[in-house]
Amino acid sequence: MSKWLWLLVAGTLWAQDARQIVEESQKRHRSRSQQYEGVLEVYDAKGGKNEKRWQFARIGSYGESKSVLRFLAPPLVKGVALLIHNHPDRASDQWMWTPELNRDRRIALQDRSTRFFGTDFSFEDLEERDVDQSDYKLLGEVALNGQACYQIEATPKKTRASQYAKTVIWVRKDILLPVQFEMYVKTELTKRMVHRKVEQVQGVWSTLELEMNDLRKKTRTVMKTEKLKYDMTLPEERFTLQALRRGE
Amino acid sequence: MILLKLISWQYVRKHLLRSLLTIAGIVLGVAVFVGMHTANQSVLTAFTQTVDRIAGATQLQITAGEAGFEEEVLERVQNVPEVRVAVPVIEAVATPETRSKGNLLILAVDMTGDRSLREYALEDGDDSFIEDPLVFLAQPDSIMITQEFAAENGIKSNDALTLNSMDGPKKFVVRGIMKSSGLTSAFGGNLAIMDVYAAQKVFGRGRRFDRIDLAVQEGLRPEEVGKKLEQILGAGYQVESPSSRGKQFESLSSVYGMLANITSLFALFIGMFIIYNSFAIAVTQRRSEIGILRALGATRGQIQVLFLMESAVGGLIGAGLGAGLGVLIARGMAGSLGNLLGEIYGVAQKAEEVSSDPQLLAGAMVLGLITSLVAAWIPARNAARVDPVQALQKGKFQLLTAGENRTRRGLAFLFLVLVGLSLVYGEGRLIFYAGYFLSIFAGVLMVPTLGLWLAKGLRPLLKAIWPVEGALAADSLIQSPRRTSGAVAALALSVSLIIALGGMTQAAYASIEEWLRIALNPDMYLSPSQNLTDRSFRFPAAFAEEVAKLPGVRRTQFVRTVRLPVDGEPVMFVSLEVASIRKEVRLPVVSGDGDKMYAEAAAGRGVIVSDNFALQHKRKAGEILTVNTPEGPLDMPILGTVVDYSDQKGSILIDRAVYEKYWKDDSVNVVRIYLDEGVTVAQMRDRVAAQMGDRYRYFVFTNEDLRSYILKITDQWFGLTYIQIAVAVLVSILGIVNTLTVSITDRRRELGVLQAVGGLRMQIRGTIWLEALTIGAIGLVLGWVFGAVALYYALETSARDLSGMRLEYSYPFRMALVLIPVILGSSFLSSLGPAETAVRGSLVEALEYE
Repeated sequence: MSKWLWLLVAGTLWAQDARQIVEESQKRHRSRSQQYEGVLEVYDAKGGKNEKRWQFARIGSYGESKSVLRFLAPPLVKGVALLIHNHPDRASDQWMWTPELNRDRRIALQDRSTRFFGTDFSFEDLEERDVDQSDYKLLGEVALNGQACYQIEATPKKTRASQYAKTVIWVRKDILLPVQFEMYVKTELTKRMVHRKVEQVQGVWSTLELEMNDLRKKTRTVMKTEKLKYDMTLPEERFTLQALRRGE
Repeated sequence: MILLKLISWQYVRKHLLRSLLTIAGIVLGVAVFVGMHTANQSVLTAFTQTVDRIAGATQLQITAGEAGFEEEVLERVQNVPEVRVAVPVIEAVATPETRSKGNLLILAVDMTGDRSLREYALEDGDDSFIEDPLVFLAQPDSIMITQEFAAENGIKSNDALTLNSMDGPKKFVVRGIMKSSGLTSAFGGNLAIMDVYAAQKVFGRGRRFDRIDLAVQEGLRPEEVGKKLEQILGAGYQVESPSSRGKQFESLSSVYGMLANITSLFALFIGMFIIYNSFAIAVTQRRSEIGILRALGATRGQIQVLFLMESAVGGLIGAGLGAGLGVLIARGMAGSLGNLLGEIYGVAQKAEEVSSDPQLLAGAMVLGLITSLVAAWIPARNAARVDPVQALQKGKFQLLTAGENRTRRGLAFLFLVLVGLSLVYGEGRLIFYAGYFLSIFAGVLMVPTLGLWLAKGLRPLLKAIWPVEGALAADSLIQSPRRTSGAVAALALSVSLIIALGGMTQAAYASIEEWLRIALNPDMYLSPSQNLTDRSFRFPAAFAEEVAKLPGVRRTQFVRTVRLPVDGEPVMFVSLEVASIRKEVRLPVVSGDGDKMYAEAAAGRGVIVSDNFALQHKRKAGEILTVNTPEGPLDMPILGTVVDYSDQKGSILIDRAVYEKYWKDDSVNVVRIYLDEGVTVAQMRDRVAAQMGDRYRYFVFTNEDLRSYILKITDQWFGLTYIQIAVAVLVSILGIVNTLTVSITDRRRELGVLQAVGGLRMQIRGTIWLEALTIGAIGLVLGWVFGAVALYYALETSARDLSGMRLEYSYPFRMALVLIPVILGSSFLSSLGPAETAVRGSLVEALEYE
């Protein structure tokens, strides 16, 4: 076997490993459903803070999930909701409901790169992606905050439109939970998402606090999760446009 | 050049006033040309700047005329892979209750994706806190304004701003103040951004958008993507670059542009006669000077060039002054012209700054120069032909030779024959306008002869009333027709222009008033907008249906007016219930069977077009009119043509059911209401208020209100005509002053002799006054006659190339009578200065003159 052929085979195995890590990670943290109340703290470049509360519910997972996100506070945004239908083979469908206007609007695919209502998340960041939507490469094993991690590079497949050219993911080796993401637009590192508080809830390792940093704008958004529950029974009907319009 | 300095400059210095009067015609002509065009250009620039600044990175815009389209079109466009970003837009003008006057242009967009196209630089530099994007979207009362507008009105973030909406006056909350940028300077800074879905409610759009703005994927050509989109969406949608909206506005306001051209060219044409007159007299006066130059060896060519150079310099100075004056005129009229064009065409723009186009200014300079050179051509040629020997003899130069007069009469006769032929065979535009110009030339060529005849005819009358002054004045005119013919021609042309414009205005008013009487006969109207041509606001069909059910309402008619492209030009479609209209309104039929056409149109089997549409678009009854609708091409036979002045560019009457079916638009611009007998407008106004409460924004117009509104716009439009008339009068006065000034200088010796032999100063004054009055009278009479012909051509031009309005010929006798004191008064006033000059000069110098 020539040196070059060996390298090619080794590279393929390496990539296979990275994909397997991601797949295993998704499998370990999979749940039939999920519900929590979240707090969003958005800090501007000058340190100013804006807070919003929301309620989140999901059924299904990774690529086939449906979720509803409904704002609870402040009063001016209460009732505004976002419905997301994720698909394994294409970008998600998203609709927004504004109760004051009494109408829904579709968030177009082209708009997914825009900021999610002034936070440092984009609409795309809220999507849950199926493992098959990206190609993976294991960059190595590194320590992050004293924890050994796999460092994996995920590149969206050509069929999958994304604002990011690549995302580098840190996955804790011990529990196979992603704890840090770095997103690149073209070659520039634009965002960093750090999972700051990780705990086990109902036997599932979960992130209870994460921080998204916009490195270009020098702003950050902290998302805290409360009242987290898994695998409760949620009616499928709750994740429809009709239910969204009814304010359920 | 040396001759110009040594000879011409000395002459100009000696006759400074006359030289200034000579170029005054050019100054005025160029000023009108530059002023009217610059004002028009400024309005157009303001519109295109607003379009450009609002467009941002938009490469293509999708519209379906003004009708808008349903929301689902957006998804179809967003799903086209070549489209990078496509966002819905509603654009409307609203009146804010703020301390600064002026409307606010509302650009309503979907903020979730719009920032890919437009840059909203917020005051604080960060959009995430100063204004919460989620609150902005969640609250339909959110609005974002420009820093300029905020400063002007003392508005801060989170302050309330009241706008008149479909739901009545509505308080909005300012949730964003944009920093100064290209976008914020659109519409003079009076720009506000709001959510497109909130705007649907505020402006009564239902679930429709006005247009889609889009950008294509990187590396693709917008034109090619545009073609693909047109194929996908169908021909009922227009996919164009933002700049093409400027072209549409240009096409709408082309009537004004043509009017501006006619006025300024006429002013220049009249100015040309003043220059001709001055140069002709200058050549006569400077015969001895020319003779000496020729005797010293100057060639004929050099003499001709000398006079042409003088004229060129004068022309350039006049054009330069005129251009400056024109820019000042434009500053004065740009704002009001913007409002007028906005009211007539319902197009939002805000013309506050005057933009002088260097090309226009250069064109004006060239125009002034050419006019001056053309005017001086014949006098310069005559100067070159001066015989040195004869030139040095005195007193032989005032005669208009019999041969010269015969040639002119012959040419005039030939032209008149050609004019007659052009009228018989003048279907084509070229032949028609050639006939028009030949008729002017024929008239001008006839001026010396006709003027002479009239002067001879007036002599006995003048002599009978004022034996000395009258006879002297008449003799002066009879003996030197060349001196006065230019002024008489200028005056006659001015009067003819006034008669033509006055006649056209009179006919237009008569026709419009008749149309108002026939077409606008409901007792009252409800409109969602205070300005009836503004189509920003619309009633939902439910509103109109509620009104129809009110007690005391005998009949309602729902009207939706919308501009849609026909033959590439925006044309006003008037959609209404033809069956109902047929029972109340019978527009005068121009072609087709009245009963049949209404019955067929009511059944949705065709359209009725206005006469001016038929003329402008060269369409006839019986032809098929293909209109591209969002549902595909719609072939509708033209059932007939009627007189309808709904729009200057013509209108198409289509049954409401057909319009609703093909454009999926059931909104209403105006509800026409006929009341039961005994029910008053005031009673119905109360009933509407009680029924609707504050649920809708509406304005009540009585029949009288609407008529006054339309007549007010008509008055504003014809206000431009009065500018033309003022210019015509001013130029003709200049002509008379010029002629008299020349005449006095020319006759200094003669007047000196008169004084020397005992003539009283009062008699000399009287002679000059009478001479001026006689010139005025001759010009007036010839102008009346020429005006009769000019009116015919003006009406034909209006029908063929301006508004397509076929107006009845009716000679404006009242205006002709009003002109008697105006022209004679002006003539008398213009003679006061020259008369004083004549009597106050030194007698010795006068006797030594020549």
